[in-house]
Amino acid sequence: MSKQHKKILTNNIDFADQHQLAAYESRGGYQAARKALKMEPDAIIAEVKASGLRGRGGAGFPTGVKWGFVPKNTGKPIYLLNNADESEPGTFKDRVLMERDPHLCLEGMIIAAKALGAHWSAIYIRGEYAYPATRIQQAIDQCYAKGYLGKGIFGTDFQLDIVMHRGAGAYICGEETGLIESLEGKKGQPRIKPPFPAVFGLYGCPTVVNNTETLATLPWIIENGAAEYIKFGTEKSPGTKLTSASGHINKPGVYEIELGYPVMDFINNECGGIRGGRNLKGLIVGGSSVAVLRGDELPPLNMSYESMAEAGTALGSGGFMVMDDTVDMVEACLNLQHFYSHESCGQCTPCREGAHWVEKIVHRIHAGQGTAADLPLIEDVCTQIAGHTICPFGDALVVPVRSFIEKYGEEFQNRIDSAIVSQIGGVSVGNAR
Amino acid sequence: MSETQLVNITIDGKQISVPKGMNIIEAARLVGVEIPHYCYHPHLSVAGNCRMCQVRIEGQPKLNIACNTGAADGMVIKTQEAAPEVAEAQRATLEFLLINHPLDCTVCDQAGHCKLQDYYYDYNAKASRFIENKVRKVKAEVLGPEIIYDGERCIVCTRCVRFCDEITETSELGVFNRGDHAVIGVSEGQALDNPLAGSVVDLCPVGALTHRRWRFNTRIWYTDQQQSVCGGCSTGCNAQVNLRDGKVVQVKARLNAEVNQEWMCDEGRYGFERFQPESRLQSPQIWQGKEYAPIKLEDALNATQKLVGAGSTGAMLLSPFLTLEETWIALEYATKVMGLDAKSDQTENIQVAVQLVQRPLTKVEAVLISPDYAPNARAFNLLGHALAGNDWRATIQKNYEALLQRVRSGQIKKLFIVGDYALRAVDLDPQLRSALQALECFVATSAAGLDCEGPQNFAQVVLPGRTINEKGGVLVNKDLRLQRLNVLLQAPAGTYPEWSLIKRMAVAAKQPIVGEQVNDERALFREMVVKREIFKGLSLMKIGESGLSLAELQKLASESGTVVANA
Repeated sequence: MSKQHKKILTNNIDFADQHQLAAYESRGGYQAARKALKMEPDAIIAEVKASGLRGRGGAGFPTGVKWGFVPKNTGKPIYLLNNADESEPGTFKDRVLMERDPHLCLEGMIIAAKALGAHWSAIYIRGEYAYPATRIQQAIDQCYAKGYLGKGIFGTDFQLDIVMHRGAGAYICGEETGLIESLEGKKGQPRIKPPFPAVFGLYGCPTVVNNTETLATLPWIIENGAAEYIKFGTEKSPGTKLTSASGHINKPGVYEIELGYPVMDFINNECGGIRGGRNLKGLIVGGSSVAVLRGDELPPLNMSYESMAEAGTALGSGGFMVMDDTVDMVEACLNLQHFYSHESCGQCTPCREGAHWVEKIVHRIHAGQGTAADLPLIEDVCTQIAGHTICPFGDALVVPVRSFIEKYGEEFQNRIDSAIVSQIGGVSVGNAR
Repeated sequence: MSETQLVNITIDGKQISVPKGMNIIEAARLVGVEIPHYCYHPHLSVAGNCRMCQVRIEGQPKLNIACNTGAADGMVIKTQEAAPEVAEAQRATLEFLLINHPLDCTVCDQAGHCKLQDYYYDYNAKASRFIENKVRKVKAEVLGPEIIYDGERCIVCTRCVRFCDEITETSELGVFNRGDHAVIGVSEGQALDNPLAGSVVDLCPVGALTHRRWRFNTRIWYTDQQQSVCGGCSTGCNAQVNLRDGKVVQVKARLNAEVNQEWMCDEGRYGFERFQPESRLQSPQIWQGKEYAPIKLEDALNATQKLVGAGSTGAMLLSPFLTLEETWIALEYATKVMGLDAKSDQTENIQVAVQLVQRPLTKVEAVLISPDYAPNARAFNLLGHALAGNDWRATIQKNYEALLQRVRSGQIKKLFIVGDYALRAVDLDPQLRSALQALECFVATSAAGLDCEGPQNFAQVVLPGRTINEKGGVLVNKDLRLQRLNVLLQAPAGTYPEWSLIKRMAVAAKQPIVGEQVNDERALFREMVVKREIFKGLSLMKIGESGLSLAELQKLASESGTVVANA
């Protein structure tokens, strides 16, 4: 039986009119923002810190701590950016929020802006999200029409302007400094750090970049208090998490689950089990940049940052991809490596050249032209990419290939062995080098 | 301003005290450790993309890039010499850089002075493990009138892009496409045609950017590489001129933080031979009432005797293209033999002046180019008139025009013009022409032939001189920095450097300025140093390849003075 999860984010998303301002307000909308605008900024930050809310974009960095890095009284404006570039393969949770409950996202931004002292904010939405973009823009327009954005929000002297910016479809623009560069009108390439965005961000000013889901959680925390929030989830992973489940399951979709919920329960209950009653072969729990898990590793695990870290992977962005026993793991790996080689921004040498090199080797193995030296070569190349680049993309791109080879090494080895046999036997396999 | 705080750091076990925040690549240089790098340039912003300069900093979990690391107190740094993982990372970086590189060194202009080649031998020297197909990119993309681009050789270090963004602020270049398809290009409707565009070729650490006019000219190892100074204006950009068979095959800027960083303007770079006149004067000429006739040098020198002791009606006009030594010997001649007052700058009585023509500059040109055509006019400030301040150009120009006015009005009756370009055709107005023709005595030295427009068309005696490309010596730039000029081109037979002509004229006048033993430029330099207080302690060695500022010169003079006093 499915557990009745307490909902924080998705209480109202099933109402067809929830995207309208009046309907949103009729269900208690903008009350938290009204409350926050009467609070001291430090009190908001303290509340968010106490809630233990962790960034939902993938890295899981505590939100309150991130806000604390913004220097005070620099004389420069402070910017708040809503990272809605959601491009991690398998992740589509923010999309649902923006489509169904856009005002919740905006209310979260008003609260965060008050806490940070930001008066200008942007939503950076991925270019392919055309429909969510229209919903967000409509919500922004409605707020301006009613005086909920602009000068003197809710009768206070607080001012906030929100701008929606549509990206051009690059994965790397989800990296916060890549996002800032893109928003400034430049090529989306991550910046060298230090300086960090909290000190030197958009147009050289202190900037906070938060994920859409993170921001959308804020109204509930302000309304109900951090003490209520930490009743959900585990000690280190408080609250709930939106998870976008896809793959070989009966009921794919976006689910809000309490953190700490057992993985197998999620697959069997919410996701309706594996299609056709087949066996579970592998799971990518939080987007393509986290290590794959074998089916037999899953039973003791639960959906929390600490449990996943223990298993050598990460909760990531919530892109929950289930693979049954029909999946060719070499091909799955090739698919992911193709994505990374296509999305490498081309700035740092190891990633620019290495991402494609790894893809080409995996491609060759997949095509039955692998050699005995290929797996050690991939490992060596991965070692020289990880940690040697400006942004974490280099680290992310080696995770899938390394974990696939680690967990499903026999499939790779079989391909290589049969390739060698067929070559020895004089059978031409594809375009031999 | 607060004093620069010094911090102690250790690089490969060598301790050094450096200013806080100093770039680690630069700090390592001070202890003799080379940290290899491609994208880092001391005068451009830090990009941090090539990953060649990774080092181990104790206490840090990952390797750091030296170019984006500032020195902090107690920092312990290990380079490729001391940390195997750093050497391994550099080996890998080179392997990455070369997997899609076409390895067309055999036809590449950069071969022989290519950082990919150099570092490959130093830090990798292993066979590549890459057996896939290489990425194909543009091979000969014309970026502008002078620059052509090879995308396959490019390592996307973005030095050229940053140069156009940060130095010229013209932003013609950008990186297009992503990943291993990334290439440098110009935005639509634009061309890389700014006045400093040629500098991107110098900045390119590989053979991706090349000069269209010098492409496929020669292999670098066949060239004679002369370290010199550009003689186009008073900036005095440090340049390396590569010659083959006596012809200029490439001009590169040399790094000099005090003068031109590592930039050079296209006018100076590509126009290096513009000072070579179309025809040359190869023997002295004397005016015989109707036409010029060649005469022997000895006779020409004797014919100039009329100038000697000219007194208040005589005058000397100097070219700004003379060397410091030539300016000195000319001024000695003016004062000792002609009896002129070289120090006076009273315009109504001016007797010695340097020609100076100012020019308007666009914003981009003004980044590097000086608003004049006077590579050595300030030598006159050191030797003749008192040191002028920021308005030195106006002062020199005012004196120059005053002298021409005195010629026009007939106050000057005898004129000696030293050096080519000392009187440009543009300044030869009809009134001045007739005044020059009416002079009692008019001697000029000129490299240009009589069929070229210039002062040589009016002089009673013309002596065959040389151009700035054919001379060695010292130039004084706009900041009174002494820099060495090298002989680049071989002078035609029958020509003499100006200093040699003046030396002979003084001998002919029985008032020698320098001894007979002074028969080359170095000897002349030594002679000048001995005779002028301001140059005390100076030697060509001390000027070196990067020059000597006025402050350093004065320090040298005061130190030498102390030594003499103690002895």
